[in-house]
Amino acid sequence: MSDVVASTLDRLSHVPGVRSALIVDAEAGVPVASELGTGASGTAVAALTASLFRRTDQAVRDAALGGLGSFQLETEEGHVVVAGRRELIVVVIADRDAQLGLIRLEIDRAVEALQ
Amino acid sequence: MRRGDIARLNELLREPMRIFVREARARIALLVNASGQVLAQHGFAGRYHVMNVAALAAATNASAHALAEITGAGRWQYMHHAGRRWQLFLAPFVTPAETLILVTIFDEHSTLGLVELFFQKLAAQVRALPEFGEALPAVSAASFEQELEAGLDRVFAPDQPGGG
Repeated sequence: MSDVVASTLDRLSHVPGVRSALIVDAEAGVPVASELGTGASGTAVAALTASLFRRTDQAVRDAALGGLGSFQLETEEGHVVVAGRRELIVVVIADRDAQLGLIRLEIDRAVEALQ
Repeated sequence: MRRGDIARLNELLREPMRIFVREARARIALLVNASGQVLAQHGFAGRYHVMNVAALAAATNASAHALAEITGAGRWQYMHHAGRRWQLFLAPFVTPAETLILVTIFDEHSTLGLVELFFQKLAAQVRALPEFGEALPAVSAASFEQELEAGLDRVFAPDQPGGG
């Protein structure tokens, strides 16, 4: 794992309320690096979020809205935030009461760092 | 090598294969055993192609298995080839009855991660079938070709289960 990837993942996973953080190869849908909380399957999360990101990106392009920057899912127990620009995407799974502003800030930094 | 239960297996494997193809967004999929006998298929236009791919899949599995043993790499997990448009995924999974091999081809609508994820789910579904829960008796060499043909006849018979 490169220093950039390792340090990016370390910062993300230490934000309060973050359960899991992954950096995913968007084309292949496989995890490049991950810090996973209990019960999370890195391969499943990577495959499904990459698929969702690619399809949503295609949808917004078809809607003439440019490329997708990020999206956020609200679930019963928390949030899934996904962001990326090129071949790498960043995925964060966070608790329901996590500080989403701080998480989004760190995700934006992570995306910048990984370009 | 399977014997008289091929029609029943085709029927049993039809739904798990349909789910795999749908969820993984695969274009073509073929499930064979280590002898190259076809158990299920989706997306192939003719039996000639299926026969070739089945034989090559069995040979690839045997070669990769031998290579992994020789090099001490342990059990091999999958082979992935990414072409410009099409990607190939070939992977074995072990059941108490026999080793099965999935060959699937996908394009930009899917990813390696998705295919691998739903391959694992397919393998779990197949392992849970009672028909794959016990070791099979050996089959004589004389009946080998006949049994090989039986799988192909079944998956390409009109309106028969197991076809894609």
